[in-house]
Amino acid sequence: MTLSTQTTPSGFLLPSIHSAPPFFTEQPNPTTQAIATDHWIRLILTYARHRKLFSLKVEDAETSGNDWDEILKNERINRKMLPSHLSNILNAMVKKNVAVYEPPKQTHSVVLYWRTPEEWAEALHEWASSTGQLNTIMTYYDITDPPINSELTNIPILLLKKAIAVLTRLGKAQVIGIAEGEGVRFFAGLGNK
Amino acid sequence: MGTKPSVPKITAQDRAILDLKLQRDKLKQYQKKIQIILDREHAIAREHMAAGQKDRAVIALRRRKYQQSMLVKTDTQLENLEQLVSTIEFSLVEVSVFHGLKQGNEVLKQIHKEMNPETVEKLLEETQEAREYQTEISAMLANTLTTDEEEAVQEELEQIQAEVIQEEKGQEVQLPSVPTVQPVISEREPEVTESNHGKVPVLVE
Repeated sequence: MTLSTQTTPSGFLLPSIHSAPPFFTEQPNPTTQAIATDHWIRLILTYARHRKLFSLKVEDAETSGNDWDEILKNERINRKMLPSHLSNILNAMVKKNVAVYEPPKQTHSVVLYWRTPEEWAEALHEWASSTGQLNTIMTYYDITDPPINSELTNIPILLLKKAIAVLTRLGKAQVIGIAEGEGVRFFAGLGNK
Repeated sequence: MGTKPSVPKITAQDRAILDLKLQRDKLKQYQKKIQIILDREHAIAREHMAAGQKDRAVIALRRRKYQQSMLVKTDTQLENLEQLVSTIEFSLVEVSVFHGLKQGNEVLKQIHKEMNPETVEKLLEETQEAREYQTEISAMLANTLTTDEEEAVQEELEQIQAEVIQEEKGQEVQLPSVPTVQPVISEREPEVTESNHGKVPVLVE
């Protein structure tokens, strides 16, 4: 049996393991399954980065026509991810701190950390300074839905808040809260970058 | 570690700006919503037309028209808000420019305080005086030299000159040897005059 890589319509290169039927089945042997889960996690994160997807839900394995079709299904070998399998993978991802349950206190959907909050913080600060928005007060909506698309477009508020928290600790951002909502102001920092 | 880098205080101004911006965001989101409704009403109207229910299609289109007018209204409101926000932000920039100018002015004043015309005048006067004093001293020193010691200086100079001449004479004792052949009278050469020794007659009448 030879397995080959495959390029999806969105230009994502699927690894050869994606063409292996057992990959889509939960393995009874915990060691084998752990390896398969690692592969799945890597695949999910790289695909999320490729498509700029921020969330993954268990139901993405149940329905078709969503953003995750290209990796959760493989029609060439007639296999697809079962929701229970995906649920376990999500659980493993949360344990590995590459995803968090969002909203919390449920286990159906996660926000993916294909960039850590620290990396997002850096990207956020770079974007703010390169677009000349230091020292001005911005709303979160300004960041998640800017007039000119940035890599931060559509970033989940949860992730954005974490990134801002990182910057606040470094003295590069300040959160301003009023009754109506919250805003943030970025600073140039202490020049240690 | 643990020292918090200082960040500016949040002023009431900041809160007001944030409030405005949040209002603006709400309007933007509202517009988005209306846009979606518009598209939906259009689709509904089409469906009704396809099903042959003309009156229903007209109702949907009417609703659409109304939403469209709302969209136009929010547009003007949004424009107002954005203008306000940018005016405020520009004013803040102006304030900081003003602050910079004020500081520059302050520094200039400080410098001028240390350098007022009276002190400059006084300083120049003092310099002038010092210079005059100096020339006076030089003149005095020169005078003392001419009266008493100038002669002695001249004498010493002559003495040195004489010594130098003496030395030169002592060194040049090599005389030309006596010719051994009979001198032959050559063609007449022009006589060498004294002018060859560097003495040029000047202003001969």
